[in-house]
Amino acid sequence: MPFLTHGSYRIRYELDGPANAPAYVLVNGLTQYSELWRTYRDALIARGFRVATFDLLGQGASDKPTLFINQDDHVLALDRLIDELGDGPVFLSGISFGGMIALRYAIEHGKRLSGLVPMSCFAELSPQLLLIGNALRTGLILGGTGYLQDLLLPMNLSDEWLKPLLDKLDGVKRQGWLVNDIYALQNLMESFLDFQPLTPQLASIAVPTMILNGEFDFLTPRALHETLRAEISNSALVIIQRAYHAFTLEKGALTADLLARFADDVLAGRWQGNKAVWIAPEDPGGELTRFPAGYDHLRAIPVMGKLT
Amino acid sequence: MNGFFGPLDPEGRVPPRQQTRVAAFLISAHGALARQFAFTLPLKLDAAWQTELNAQFYRETEIVSLLMRATTWVPDLALGYMAASWETAWFPTPIEGIADRSLGQAVHLATLAHAVHAGIRPAALLPVEANASDPFVMALRRIEFESGRLLQAQIMFLKGPDLVPFRAAVSATLESRHIDLRKLWSGTLESVGIAVDE
Repeated sequence: MPFLTHGSYRIRYELDGPANAPAYVLVNGLTQYSELWRTYRDALIARGFRVATFDLLGQGASDKPTLFINQDDHVLALDRLIDELGDGPVFLSGISFGGMIALRYAIEHGKRLSGLVPMSCFAELSPQLLLIGNALRTGLILGGTGYLQDLLLPMNLSDEWLKPLLDKLDGVKRQGWLVNDIYALQNLMESFLDFQPLTPQLASIAVPTMILNGEFDFLTPRALHETLRAEISNSALVIIQRAYHAFTLEKGALTADLLARFADDVLAGRWQGNKAVWIAPEDPGGELTRFPAGYDHLRAIPVMGKLT
Repeated sequence: MNGFFGPLDPEGRVPPRQQTRVAAFLISAHGALARQFAFTLPLKLDAAWQTELNAQFYRETEIVSLLMRATTWVPDLALGYMAASWETAWFPTPIEGIADRSLGQAVHLATLAHAVHAGIRPAALLPVEANASDPFVMALRRIEFESGRLLQAQIMFLKGPDLVPFRAAVSATLESRHIDLRKLWSGTLESVGIAVDE
């Protein structure tokens, strides 16, 4: 198990695929651990990519700072990991908390990237997200990691995914419960206490950007992704059908396919963001569809509106 | 060796030798916290925050009482010298960078309690097949759950405004406390055939 060092801390990472291939770096969400990217690793390597995954400070097998985790440390650790990849093209993707870390990296080191894919992401804490985040933190404090998982599972995954697992949920939760420590999760959550919105800096991101948002994402709804689309010039928003916040878990094959196609388009010079809004296919390999002209993609019902 | 208790008996119970050594370690650590909270707890509370000292003292005592009753004990000759090394590790030590003795003592106690409550997860040693109706299994789950709650007082104090000027000293002391405690805990587990990931 290889480790990077960041100050006095060790960061566990994994690097697979051909050394001279374009690389995808995948950044975990808050309660995630790097093994959850296994489907992506296999799919992207099969499509000719090199894949780097890692546990953030405070997660999984990486060191868990006891009292404070600064979000700057995640960006620095990510920079160390990307340094390991050499000079080839690098595509960076992250989900939720990891998407926000990826955004910060793109703001600070955008020239190093060939493409960016924020997923279920946000650049600022809306009142809803702030209050939900506070409630989740209280849930963690009062009920432990298991209770936090109990809250997140139904919020972030569909009935279709949950239904066959209803009588096996303890098993589904167990690995996450084993590798996540309360104090480390709490430190990660409390790293938002002095969070400053990234929105004013988003315009500095010039790299091709594909923003992925689940159709039914409750935790980080469309409006939060719209901020990214509106501010990042070479971006497009892709809505994942029938998906919730954790669509990377639920629709791994489809999402990995979209990641590979985005990188292929960028490398071939075909990518044009144009701040367009697209609807992802239901299955891997299907066609993306333009969001119908004239309708408001921020609404849940077909109301006429105009794209800005 | 693997990272869990076992092999379990046919009823899903943890081997008594593992119960004995793990319970002895937990009693030593939580017992030390109970004693140190007892010495810190005034007879008459002067401030609202001292109510938390009272809660911590009684929760620690409860953990010791629970383990004494829920554990299947067996004779263990090695416990004598092991317990001696554990007990000396809980002694108060001066905190480098904090000259005020009473503040230093408070930081010592909070960092020790943080390390015990955050760094030791006894329920995570239970394999899936562990019998949920067994008192030792239930005791470990309770201890881990209660530790997560008790920990909040340490987090609030160590991250709080009183210690902002001493943040570097507090962080260094806490990291070192965690490392020392992890070493003792890992040694205890490995002595009964339970591997610990490092």
